[in-house]
Amino acid sequence: MIAAAILLLALLLPSLPLGEWRAFLLDTAQFAFLTSALALAWDLLARSGQLSLAHGAFFGLGAYAAALSAPALGTLPALLAGGLVAALASFLLGLATLRLHGMYFAIATLAFSEVMRTLVLKAQFTGGSIGLPVQPAFSGAFPLGSYYLAVAVLALSAGVSLLLSRGRWHYAMAATRQGEAVARVLGVPVVRVKLLTFGLSAFLGGLVGGVYAMKTLFLSPYDAFGLGRAVEALVVPIFGGLYTTSGPLLGGLIIVGLETWLRLRIGEGYLVIYGLVLILAILFLPRGLVGLFRKGVGRA
Amino acid sequence: MELLLQTLINGVLAAGIYALVASGLALAVGVVGIVNFAHGEFTMLGAFIAYLLFVGSGLDPLVSLGLAALVLFLVGSLTYYGLIRPVLGAPELNQMLLTFGLSVALQNLALLLFGANTRVVSPPYQGSTIHLLGLSFGVVPFASFVLSVVLLGGLYWFLGRTRLGLAVRAVAQNRLAPGLLGIEKERIYLLAFGLSAALAGVAGVMLSVILYASPTVGFAYTLKAFAIIVMAGLGNLGGVVPAAVALALAEALVSTYLPGGGGWVEAVFFLVIFATLTWRSWRAA
Repeated sequence: MIAAAILLLALLLPSLPLGEWRAFLLDTAQFAFLTSALALAWDLLARSGQLSLAHGAFFGLGAYAAALSAPALGTLPALLAGGLVAALASFLLGLATLRLHGMYFAIATLAFSEVMRTLVLKAQFTGGSIGLPVQPAFSGAFPLGSYYLAVAVLALSAGVSLLLSRGRWHYAMAATRQGEAVARVLGVPVVRVKLLTFGLSAFLGGLVGGVYAMKTLFLSPYDAFGLGRAVEALVVPIFGGLYTTSGPLLGGLIIVGLETWLRLRIGEGYLVIYGLVLILAILFLPRGLVGLFRKGVGRA
Repeated sequence: MELLLQTLINGVLAAGIYALVASGLALAVGVVGIVNFAHGEFTMLGAFIAYLLFVGSGLDPLVSLGLAALVLFLVGSLTYYGLIRPVLGAPELNQMLLTFGLSVALQNLALLLFGANTRVVSPPYQGSTIHLLGLSFGVVPFASFVLSVVLLGGLYWFLGRTRLGLAVRAVAQNRLAPGLLGIEKERIYLLAFGLSAALAGVAGVMLSVILYASPTVGFAYTLKAFAIIVMAGLGNLGGVVPAAVALALAEALVSTYLPGGGGWVEAVFFLVIFATLTWRSWRAA
């Protein structure tokens, strides 16, 4: 319900009479959609019990890959390439870290994302610390092109998330999260579940990064690979409601709204809101915003 | 040859602070069982305390060392009471996210209060060097190394020779049995977390002189401390010192011998984490 309403609103927003705030609202909305989409991608992985701090890296990889390949491939294939590069990276990372649990996995993904940033900073073809200018989506043929791309990515992430919240795959992920040994005994192919979820999650993260690049038209390693991305990706689902589709959607809109307001007021340090929301949500709202409305339903 | 020797000495001197920060983290992980992502932020707080005391009342960093330890012990205790204790029984994911949130909040709060500038505490002896056998090293790194060794010695003595220290180790080993022996688990947790923060704070005071105080100075140390305790084996306090030396030496060698080494130093500890974790996981498989 919530998901459908938000998507409908997203589609209609450009045609609403918004007056002089139109450009600002559309921009903010677009970043909110991208944040929500990244959060949905992160949540997918969390469903299989893995806490990733690497989603900033997948986002960045997707952004850089899409930006670098766009002149040769065109917009849509470049976005796809970005997603695939991120998925490939996650596959390699997954192969190395598959047997890690809990905190080890979190630390390893954190390490991965920092190494990636160092590499991009050091490499020549990425523009290093100077940054990389990016072509606008569809060479700027449609003014709202990147807006609708963001809506599309959001719809895709929400669709995948909805699809995976029922059926065999859903139970396989939940079992892997709640007790890997038990899941194995029950015949769940734990390794395959983890790797595929990781790949899918990273692919979506990479797509989001690509669209982001075509929106901002400029990338720097600090922005694209920043830990702030990973923080956003995990705070939003926790605030909105873990393991749900409507949670990250709703959470993304609210948090990006708060963030934008705070950024306008205090500038640097606005990320403090993420820290506080994270702490408060863990302590007082363990089931997220969505959990407030759903009494008595299990989290499985 | 001389270059190599100098590099090795620099590495060993840097290892002191690493070992301090990492021992604190190892206490939090080993005794309380909490992976504290905000550990480096305690270091950052220590650095800012030293800076504020130095600028405000001209206090020598050596004096603020004790004050910072006290303040951070309090901060650590409060953190334990307010944030950690409620989630002790929660899933590991929640615990990690909570400390991660604390880290983000403290970092950005400092950014709000002090801005992103780096601030150095510069006592009169900051630039002086000692010459020994044709090698030279700064007074400050040398002094901080000696202090770290003394403090770590004190920590090991406490854990190995006093009743309270033995109680801490007992709780680290077993959650249930110490209770039967009349050890109150909660108080040990409190003590361990406070000590953990105090160690980080002391290291922060040293950093404010050697490096600088800034809102983000601590986060790198969280990660380096992770690298060290992962190498040592999570929660294994005994392995922290050799692991810290290994990491510091590796960094010193990379920064001296790799062309354009400065930037790659940042990657060393991640490669260490990565290599150790994957090697362990494959060996265990």
